[in-house]
Amino acid sequence: MIEELRSIASLAEEEIQSTETLNALTSVKAKYLGKKGLITERIRSLRSLPPEKRPEYGRLLNQIKNRIEELLKEREGYLKEADLDRRLKAESFDVTLPGFCIPFGHLHPATRMLNEIIDIFVSLGFSVMEGPEVELDYYNFEALNIPKDHPARDMQDTFYISDDVVLRTHTSPVQVRVMEKHTPPLSVVAPGKVYRCDADISHIPMFHQIEGFMVDEHITMGDLRGVLEVFAHEVFGPQTAIRFRPSYFPFTEPSAEVDISCVLCNGSGCRVCKNSGWVEVLGAGMINPRVFEMAGYEPGRYTGFAFGMGVERITMLKYGISDIRLFLENDKRFLEQF
Amino acid sequence: MKVSIEWLQEFVDFKLSPQELSHLLTMAGLEVEASETVDGDTILDVSITPNRADCLSVLGIAREISANLGVPIRQPLISVKEDETTSPDIEIIDTEICHRYASRIIYGVRVGQSPEWLVRRLEAHGMRAVNNVVDVTNYVMLEMGHPLHAFDLNRLEGRRIVVKRAGDVGRFKTLDGEERRLNRDMLMIWDAVRPVAIAGVMGGLDSEVTPSTTDVLLESAYFDPVSVRRTSKALGLTTEASYRFERGTDIEMIVRALDRATALIKELAGGRVTALTDNYPIPYTPPEVSVSLQRIRGLLGIEIDESSIVEILKRLNLQYKKEGEGFVITPPSFRRDIQQDVDVIEEVARLYGYEKIPSTMPAIRLKRIEGNDNFRTIRLIKDAMVKAGFSEVINTSFLNPSALDELNIPDNDRRRRLVHIKNPLRREESCLRTTLVPSLLNNAVLNQNRGERAFSLFELSRVFFDRAEALPDEVMQMAAIHCRPLRPSIWEKAHNGFYDIKGAIEGLFDFLKIKGYSFQRSDKPPQPYLNPVRSCAIVINGEVVGSVGELHPSVVSLYELRGDISIFEINDLEALIRAIPSRITYRQLPRFPYVERDISILVNKDVPVAEIEGVISSLNSEIIESVRLFDIYTGKQIPPEKKSIAFTIRYRSSDRTLTDDEVDELHSKIIDTLRHTINAELRG
Ligand SMILES: [Zn+2]
Repeated sequence: MIEELRSIASLAEEEIQSTETLNALTSVKAKYLGKKGLITERIRSLRSLPPEKRPEYGRLLNQIKNRIEELLKEREGYLKEADLDRRLKAESFDVTLPGFCIPFGHLHPATRMLNEIIDIFVSLGFSVMEGPEVELDYYNFEALNIPKDHPARDMQDTFYISDDVVLRTHTSPVQVRVMEKHTPPLSVVAPGKVYRCDADISHIPMFHQIEGFMVDEHITMGDLRGVLEVFAHEVFGPQTAIRFRPSYFPFTEPSAEVDISCVLCNGSGCRVCKNSGWVEVLGAGMINPRVFEMAGYEPGRYTGFAFGMGVERITMLKYGISDIRLFLENDKRFLEQF
Repeated sequence: MKVSIEWLQEFVDFKLSPQELSHLLTMAGLEVEASETVDGDTILDVSITPNRADCLSVLGIAREISANLGVPIRQPLISVKEDETTSPDIEIIDTEICHRYASRIIYGVRVGQSPEWLVRRLEAHGMRAVNNVVDVTNYVMLEMGHPLHAFDLNRLEGRRIVVKRAGDVGRFKTLDGEERRLNRDMLMIWDAVRPVAIAGVMGGLDSEVTPSTTDVLLESAYFDPVSVRRTSKALGLTTEASYRFERGTDIEMIVRALDRATALIKELAGGRVTALTDNYPIPYTPPEVSVSLQRIRGLLGIEIDESSIVEILKRLNLQYKKEGEGFVITPPSFRRDIQQDVDVIEEVARLYGYEKIPSTMPAIRLKRIEGNDNFRTIRLIKDAMVKAGFSEVINTSFLNPSALDELNIPDNDRRRRLVHIKNPLRREESCLRTTLVPSLLNNAVLNQNRGERAFSLFELSRVFFDRAEALPDEVMQMAAIHCRPLRPSIWEKAHNGFYDIKGAIEGLFDFLKIKGYSFQRSDKPPQPYLNPVRSCAIVINGEVVGSVGELHPSVVSLYELRGDISIFEINDLEALIRAIPSRITYRQLPRFPYVERDISILVNKDVPVAEIEGVISSLNSEIIESVRLFDIYTGKQIPPEKKSIAFTIRYRSSDRTLTDDEVDELHSKIIDTLRHTINAELRG
């Protein structure tokens, strides 16, 4: 009897391992564990055995039943997985086809650069202010210590609306407008469009500037240098060196042209830097006391610095754009690169 | 300003290569922009800022080199032997604009060609040789920075000079042969009866030195910078002389320059020299500028000691007196730019070396300035447009006024209130934009001409309206253009581009949390350049803020555009920004389930979907959560004047689970209402 049980068990194991479908597995299960299954029937007839044989025989029967259940479960798991594999193989598609979406547009590179610059100064605690693009001669020139009939007016070719109204030639008038309304401490950047009556291969009549200024009781030229160094490192990388050269702007004294080490050749000399290793990026200086006077500040109390830069110029250096006229052309293929 | 290194070396000793000298000058604030080698000499092109008139000469640049290197300067040797005791007859009438006039006469000169060395120097510095007398005046101007003029004495009526304004003269022929129209205030040099030169700008044709001249009257004078500049600007005539006079010449150098020229003329052309006439009615008084040590150190952020400052002052010829904890400075007459303490501080910094100023970070008290946060919102708006697939363009603010006619803008429209530029670069750019649309159309033309067929562009810029104030009204606007081919590729959905651009607006408004907006049609098209039956106004809280539509076919063909082109405009972006809620208020998530019912109806083709939605929302039921359109159909199985519209209504209550009866009752009420109001027939 025991022998018979053992042979049923080994037969069941063989049959289970050789089934290839879930359906076949169900019939194997019925054959052994179903209502009239080989194991079920023997469990049922257990009572007819002599009492002294029951425990041993019963134990073995139970073992075999558990073993078969275990094998069935295992095989079922295996067959289900194989089934899913087969189905998935049939459903594969070409993942190299392009995805569907409305492609994002692009910010104009000047806007992109302007945002970057504003963020740097805002992170240093500067506020952002704006002013009109059509400006009084007073704010654009006179309050910045550039009187009528002064040769410094030749530094900027000006579009005139009337004798007293101009298209602003720089963002510096915002300096005066802010100082008229607010007292120090002040740290402000003023971005915006400016206009010059000038158009050739290297000039466009409208471009963007960003003006920055800081006024308090003890601001030094060293502070100006420190702040501009942060700017240069953020925009052009920490290896960038800056250089101050004496220059002249009527609204700052001392005044400086600020150069950075050439971003193309790292200072070794190339076409962009005319082999000097340096490129001019902005003008700056300590705010002229006459400007404070014009704004109505108490004489001698405050010092401050100011700087102004052409955004397109910075953008050209940063991205290696060689023709400034591209900024106003708005060719899709240009815009899409930024 | 061109300057020869060889010439510089006549006045100052230095052993620098041309590159080293260029670097020294550049770092001193005299930027060397170019250099060229001529006959073994190097000519530098130095950019001189308007404040440094003292450097518009070889001597001036030599002075800078001397100050920077700390080596002495050699002044030119000047000695004039007078042959006659008479002196020129000079009268200054308008003394407030001619502070000094010095003169000598040289009798019996032989006018001829200059020697080669002189011709070469003039030419290397960008000047043309004329004759030995004129060339000497130019040579001395280049060397010493003071412009001189030579008259043919025998062509001066009464052999005298009078300095006074033009008054009624009217016209005057300058030595370049041009007839100039004078205004009353221009300062002129006269003889006894008529003007013979425009003071400080250009001499007259009738009194110039020619080969037949035998007697020369030399002029060395100081003319007021503003007066010379006004004259030069009014005449549109800038000369080497006017350029120097308007920046300020050295009034104390006048006689030395005159004598230098006199001696050279005598050397090259012979002649007998008269005594000097030096009319100097308004003598120069140098300013006194006080500057404290603390202010120098405090402004520059450097620890510089007193003796270093003194050394710098000496090198620059700035006379100083110690006074308390600082100095009183008297600048030399050639440094008219030094007027305030900061001017002295700049000089100290220049010679100390800008590069030696250490970088520090400012210790500033933080302060927030109220007023301008729009730039943040504008950045959000631009970013949202970019995410909707639009690329940003930036155009110049100029407008060709004829563009308004091309867009059929009516005469009384606000956009006709143009701001005109007095000196435009081109007639096509003579006004400021009152609308962004023409720029976008031009961008579309450019891109189509370069072979691009599909693109979406937007611009966010200010436009300018003239008004009864000094400054125009500057209004921030946004406009976008969307262009796609008429026949989209098969994988693109066949719909009008209008819906793309409208979707972008809806997306933008939802992103900005703007509620209460709608797109409204009326009998009058929202813009004359839009297709009248495919356009509408954009309305927020009852206020028209813009328009959207397909471009009018006549504008499409006028601009020679192709494809399906739609445009939207927001006329006042700040009004739009004001409609953005100042804060977001959280609403409880719904706790009860919704019930959805579909409706499919037939209505007349001309009934807009918005009207159906309006009818449903007019029922004002609290439990209608949303109405969502999912199909529109015209064609087979439907009468030709009808369309079929299907939508899903979602019902939900905030305080209970809805029963089927409740929903059914409302749903049939909706159907009844649609039947009565817009003649809807229920389908299927
Ligand atoms: Zn380089």
